[in-house]
Amino acid sequence: MIRDTLAARAPAAVFAAIGPGRQADAERLFARRDMRRASTPRDASVLLVAGDIPAEASEALARVHDQIPPPRATVQWQGEDPDRIAARVAEALKDLRGTGTGEADRLPDEPPNEWKGIGPHGQGGKGMMGGTPYGRPMAMTGPDIRDGLQLDRYTARIGPFAPMLPPGLTLEVTLQGDVICDVSIDSPPFAQPADADAPDLCLARVLRLLGLDRAADRVLGGKRPGALWVRGAIPRGLGRIDGTDIRGRVAAWRKGEAAPLGPFDLPQLLTGAEWSEAMLILASLPPSALIRAARATEAA
Amino acid sequence: MVTLAVILGWTGLAVVFAVALAPSAKASAPQAMPFLGGGSVETHAWQRFHFRPYTMSLLFIAFEMEMMFMYPWAVVFVSEGIKALAEMGMFLAILSVGILYGWREGIFRWQ
Amino acid sequence: MTVLLLVLAVCATLLAGVVLAAVLDRALPELAGTMTRQRIETEAPDRMNRDLAPAFYLALAAEGLSVVPFAPGLALIDSPVGVVIWGACEALTIIVVFLHGWSPNAPFPLIGAYRYAAIGLPVMLPSMFVLIAAALPAESLSLVAIVDSQREIWNVLRQPLGLPLFLVVALALTLRGPMDYADAADIAGGTSAEDSGAGRTLWQVARLAMLVSVSAVAATVFLGGPLGPVLPGPVWLWLKTAVLMAVLIWLGNRVARTTPSRMLTILWVVLLPLSFADLIISGVLAL
Repeated sequence: MIRDTLAARAPAAVFAAIGPGRQADAERLFARRDMRRASTPRDASVLLVAGDIPAEASEALARVHDQIPPPRATVQWQGEDPDRIAARVAEALKDLRGTGTGEADRLPDEPPNEWKGIGPHGQGGKGMMGGTPYGRPMAMTGPDIRDGLQLDRYTARIGPFAPMLPPGLTLEVTLQGDVICDVSIDSPPFAQPADADAPDLCLARVLRLLGLDRAADRVLGGKRPGALWVRGAIPRGLGRIDGTDIRGRVAAWRKGEAAPLGPFDLPQLLTGAEWSEAMLILASLPPSALIRAARATEAA
Repeated sequence: MVTLAVILGWTGLAVVFAVALAPSAKASAPQAMPFLGGGSVETHAWQRFHFRPYTMSLLFIAFEMEMMFMYPWAVVFVSEGIKALAEMGMFLAILSVGILYGWREGIFRWQ
Repeated sequence: MTVLLLVLAVCATLLAGVVLAAVLDRALPELAGTMTRQRIETEAPDRMNRDLAPAFYLALAAEGLSVVPFAPGLALIDSPVGVVIWGACEALTIIVVFLHGWSPNAPFPLIGAYRYAAIGLPVMLPSMFVLIAAALPAESLSLVAIVDSQREIWNVLRQPLGLPLFLVVALALTLRGPMDYADAADIAGGTSAEDSGAGRTLWQVARLAMLVSVSAVAATVFLGGPLGPVLPGPVWLWLKTAVLMAVLIWLGNRVARTTPSRMLTILWVVLLPLSFADLIISGVLAL
C-alpha cells in the first residue's frame, strides 16, 4: 500500500533511445523534475524512443527494450510538446501499475552460442582456455598498449544507445583492464541540428559525467551550476584539440560561448585513454564536430 | 563473546533479509546479455583484468603493516611521552620516502 | 535487558536513518519504484556473491553502528578495541563492493569494481590515521573512552583536520558524489548497472544504512557523540548523526568527481600527508 503510493510519486525512470535530430529536445526533457534518465535499462520501466531510429539500429533498440525488466512499456516521441510526452510517460506507468503486464520480448530467446566444452564447468580445451562455457568463449591474451604485459583483451561493441556516448555512436573497443587499447567506429552518431551544440547542453553533458546531475539540471534551467571543483576535477591538458583542452572548452561554455573545433582524428584521441578519461573527452566535443570527425574516419 | 554474537547475529539477519526480499527471476537470452547500450560482445566479462594500480597496492601493504604497530602505540602514547612521538615520526618519515619515490616513478598514474 | 534495548536502538537508528537519508537525497519514491519491478538474472552470474554482497554491506553498517555508544559508557559492543572493529568494517566494505561488481559477469560493473578497489585501499589510510589520532588523548581504542575524553572539548576543535578527512572517507564508503568510483555515470551506474528490481533496492538501502553508520561514528569520534546539555544522550547522538548525514548528502551532490588516476594521486600526495599532520598535531597536544 505505502509502497505503491510512494512509487506513484517517483519521477518516471525512463531509458532513452535518441534518434536523429532529437538529442537537444531529449536532453532538455530530462532536466524536468518529474523525469529521470535511467543510466541503464535495468533501472527503467519505460523506453522512450525519440525520433525515427534508422533500420541498422533496430536490433540494438530491440535488445535494449528486452533488457528493461518487466512490466515495461514503450513511448514514441515524434516532436510533440515536452509536457504532453511527460504526461504520456506518466500514463504508461500508471497502466503498468494497474494491469502489471506490459510488453513481451522482441528478440527470440536463443543463446548466442551452443555450450561446448569438457569437464564439469564446460571449460574444455587445454588447461584453463578454450571451449564455450555457458555459451560464450573466454577472453584471450594480447600485449598491453602501455606496458606490454600479456593480459586478456576484452572486445565489445558499445552503443548506439549507451547513455555516456552521443546517440547513434557505436564504438568497437578493445579494453585491457579499463584502458582502451584499440577503437574503431562501427557507426557514426546520428545527425543532429545545430541546437544540440548550445553551450548549456554541452556544459550539462560534462557535468553529468562528473556526477553532478542536479547541477546539470540547474544549468539547463538557465541557472548557475552551483557546484564545487568543476574546473579542478578535469585533468589539465586532457582532450587537447587546436590548443584548447577540456578545461578550456568548459570555461567557454560556462561563459555562454560556443567552442568551435577544427577537424581531428577521433580514434587517435581515444586510444590509450582510461575509460573515464575517454568518456570525458567524448562529452567535451560538440555534437557537430564529433559527427564530422566520425564520418571522416568512416570514409577513410 | 557478546561481540562475536552481535556480529554473527547482524550478518545472519541481513542474509535472511536479503534472500527473502529479492527472489531472482529467470531471463531470456537477449535480456540476460550484459548492457552495452544495445551493442553485443563475444566473450565473458570475467577475465585476467589488467589492474593498473597494482604497484600502488605494494606501497599500500607497507602502510597497512605500519597500522598494526600504531594500534598498541596509540594506547601507550601518553604514558611514553615524547619518545613515542619521535619514534613514530621517524617511522612515518621513512615510509613517506616510499610515497615520493612511487610518485616519481608514476605508480599513481594507471601505468 | 540493556543488551536487548541496545539491539532495538541500533535497529531503530538504522531504520529511521535510512528513511531520513532517502528523504534528504530525494530517493525515497524511487526506492519504492524499483521494488515494483522484476529482478532479471544476468548471463552466467555468480549467484552466491550477487545475493551476499548487499546483505553483507547491510550487515557491516549494523556492525559499525553497534560499537557506537548511545549514552556515555553504553554501547552494544563495548569493546576495548572498538576503533579496530570499525576499521575492519571499513576494509570489508571494499571487498563487498568489489563482489557486487564482480557477480553479474558484465563489463561495466567489473570496471567499477576494480576501480573502487584502487581508490578504496588508499582511502583506508587517512581514515585509520585520523581515528588513531582521536584515540591518543583517550589513551584507549574504545569508542566509549574516546567519548569520555571529549568531556571538556570536542575532537573537532582539538583536531581540526580530523573531521574533514573523515568525511572524505565517509563519501567513499557510501559510494557518494566525488568518491563514487564504483557506481559512476561513465560506466552506466558501474557495479549496479546490472541490478534490477528488489536486488537494486536492497543495494541502495544498504548504501544509505552505511551512511547512517559512518555518520554516527563520525559524530561519536569528532562531535562528542551522546555528550550534550539538557537532552538525553541518544537524542544528542541522533541530532549530530542527522546533521552529518545532511552534510555528506550535500557534498555528494555538489562536488565534482575527477578521474580515478588523478584521485589516486591526490589521495597519496595530499590527503595522506594531511592525515600525518593531523596525527602529529594531536600527538603534541595530547602530551
